[in-house]
Amino acid sequence: MRGLREGALRPGLRLTAANRPGQAQPVPTRDIPALPWMRMGIIVFLLLVLLLAAWEWQMRRLNLHAGDLGDSPQAWAEQRRLADTNPVTIIGDSRILFDTDLDRFEALTGVRPIQASIVGTTARAILMNFANDPEFHGLLILGLAETSYYRPSGVGIGKPYMDNLSKNEKPSQVSGLLLDRYLQRHVAFLDPEYRLSRMVNELDRGIRSGVDGPYDDVWKISETFDDRQYFMWDRINRDRHLRMHARWAWGEFKGKPIPPTVIAKVNARSAEAVRRIRARGGDVIFIRPPSSPELRVNEEARVPKATGWERLLVAANAKGIHADDLDRAQKLILPEWSHLTRKCAAVFTDAYVRRLVELTPRLQLRANAPAPLSRTDCVAQRNASR
Amino acid sequence: MIFNSLTFLVFFAFVLALHTAPFFSWHQKKINLLLASYIFYAAWNPPFVALLWISTVVDWWAAQWMVRARRERTRKIWMLTSVIVNLGMLGYFKYGGFLLDNFVSMAGSIGIIYQPPKWDIVLPVGISFYTFATLSYTLDVYLRRSKPAGSFLNYALFVTFFPHLVAGPIMRPTELVPQFEEPRKAKANQMFFGFALLTLGLFQKVVLADGFLAPVVEKVYDQHDKVPGMLDSWAATLAFAGQIFCDFAGYSTSAIGVALCLGFAMPDNFRFPYGAVGFSDFWRRWHITLSSWLRDYLYIPLGGNRHGPARTYAALMGTMLLGGLWHGANWTFVVWGGLHGLYLSVERWLRARFKGFTPGRATMVGLALLTFLLINVTWVFFRAKTFAGAGVILTGMAGMAEKPEPLIAGGPMIVALAIVTAIFGTHLAMRNTTLEAVIERTPVLVVASAWTLMAFAVLIEQGQGNAFIYFAF
Repeated sequence: MRGLREGALRPGLRLTAANRPGQAQPVPTRDIPALPWMRMGIIVFLLLVLLLAAWEWQMRRLNLHAGDLGDSPQAWAEQRRLADTNPVTIIGDSRILFDTDLDRFEALTGVRPIQASIVGTTARAILMNFANDPEFHGLLILGLAETSYYRPSGVGIGKPYMDNLSKNEKPSQVSGLLLDRYLQRHVAFLDPEYRLSRMVNELDRGIRSGVDGPYDDVWKISETFDDRQYFMWDRINRDRHLRMHARWAWGEFKGKPIPPTVIAKVNARSAEAVRRIRARGGDVIFIRPPSSPELRVNEEARVPKATGWERLLVAANAKGIHADDLDRAQKLILPEWSHLTRKCAAVFTDAYVRRLVELTPRLQLRANAPAPLSRTDCVAQRNASR
Repeated sequence: MIFNSLTFLVFFAFVLALHTAPFFSWHQKKINLLLASYIFYAAWNPPFVALLWISTVVDWWAAQWMVRARRERTRKIWMLTSVIVNLGMLGYFKYGGFLLDNFVSMAGSIGIIYQPPKWDIVLPVGISFYTFATLSYTLDVYLRRSKPAGSFLNYALFVTFFPHLVAGPIMRPTELVPQFEEPRKAKANQMFFGFALLTLGLFQKVVLADGFLAPVVEKVYDQHDKVPGMLDSWAATLAFAGQIFCDFAGYSTSAIGVALCLGFAMPDNFRFPYGAVGFSDFWRRWHITLSSWLRDYLYIPLGGNRHGPARTYAALMGTMLLGGLWHGANWTFVVWGGLHGLYLSVERWLRARFKGFTPGRATMVGLALLTFLLINVTWVFFRAKTFAGAGVILTGMAGMAEKPEPLIAGGPMIVALAIVTAIFGTHLAMRNTTLEAVIERTPVLVVASAWTLMAFAVLIEQGQGNAFIYFAF
């Protein structure tokens, strides 16, 4: 066949278009090195299978699980589209994402909410996204952490999720999502947080001073299941190093107080967004999930509850559920101070949904709803989380 | 779809199965490849397949009418029709917003306030590549370098053949159309070598470019609050030199491997470019199919080196400036091209001034290093999104940054610099040979081990489905 040659050409004999100016270029030559490629290919395949099996075993030893599907802009886009036809959607940052047990929510109300929260993203931006969507008419449950909600600028990780919504629904993106999910249901090692480069970088525990290095970034703290159900990764409860790593990454949420003018502006814009959603027949209810006392003191210093949360509810004329006010959800377990354990997420969800149904006629408690949960349903993990 | 995606793996398995199946005729196999190529392209944005069709049909008929024309003027009209349609589409989709922004700025500078509606046009993936590929068909026919393709199917497949469609190598019809005229199926050795090349390309892209180099680049180039110092600026720029090579050469190597698995030969697009001694040498090694395209259809028609030094320098500069603009609708790309034009001009002058100078081995290494460092200066304009951003990095590289702050963590920086050093060293060592020649001399055990480890690294790095940088061009 023209262009294909068995055996490598001697250097200098394989010419390129660079050697032939101003002429029609002939069929290029591809020389195949004289090696037993087929036999090598079969051996490489077998070795690869062995190496992958060993890697999978090691990853499972590290407590990665098959079925942890991970999250992606495509997965969010899929849920975002569903939100337009679903009666209830949850938006917010990572706290409401980790702290809501969708199964529990559904067991209590018969409604499975869409989970459209995004880690590392201000809930304010997602609220605007829904306020600008004329197709949305449902109930929006907005979970917020004040330091994220009132950040003076920037959207966070979720910006490309929202900006590229249609791009993330292209045929190749959707097929990629489906194939990825299929594989992730069967193998544990396909976890972006445990990819090769991330693991190599994690060896750096601060070689260069004064730099935000890999240890300063949040590493894996969650597992994700169908419908973008996030839960705290169980290893965080048991592995002190990883727990400390996560706490270190939060930096105790220290920072300068957010100026009152910024808080007032955010409250005003939120109120306007809520008004627009209501004008279309929708509604918004705010939720403030818990955080540990170690973080709470700094959060309060940066955005006082009185000027943030309370004025937000007044400005938006909206109802809200603060973790402080849920008797059954006090002193829950937050291993890395910011998010609840999986079992405690069920307790918190149970508590806030029971309050939610009192605040809105859009949700009712089912007649056969399960019995209420309380702190004792998850507190057994407490000692392990210290 | 992109090569480093699960979708492509499934797609390629189907295509390979259809192509090697014994029950299809060669004609049917070509139709299969054509349909597969449309699916490959439509996976991004189905409506843009229409642009491919327009380009294919217009150029097919332009060439047909050119051959039938009796008068030179008619031939020219058909050639110009093809050029206008192709460059018109490229201009509209790629440069429309850029031209409008510049018009608004110019109008504003003379006091005319004009606020047009936002230019919200999506850039069709790979339009710059397939526009150049299909243009070379009508231009070659017009210049009587080649005859028109014998069948519309062969020509349409040349335009859309998925391995080269969206990011090259930019193929000429004379390179590919003859390969469609005879039944082709890779032998086992060819197919497995194709898989090995695909593995190498994916390793460069997924592991080196995306995994280890891109994050180091982003730490400096994508942050705007802090000023990088000398170390960070150089580390990020060197990392970008490695990233863009691994990204683009990785794509080309993957494309060559994919085509080889199907039994087709595609041309080299990279020849160890960072081992270049001088800039004309660099452009014979970097993106060879683009540089030779620009030489054949722009530099030579502009006069080349046939009309004296002044015209030669003007043609060189014009070609490189337009070459820069081909990469993106931004003045930073024009400056990038302009710098390369300047380098090439200075080199040309020096060669004339020091005719007969033969460097020794140490001088060659020194000149290669100098070439590499100067190329890094151009990469600043290629990567920075604005001149202000480029200025910050260049100031840092010159050691003149005020109150610089460290930005790149020690571990990732060490790994990135080690990779770039390895790339530079490899290119320098292999500048006079080919990958195939080196592989043939290497023991089977070493080749098989390297292949296994690269494949393993690709799989455990997983990849995040990042698009190749050149898809945006």
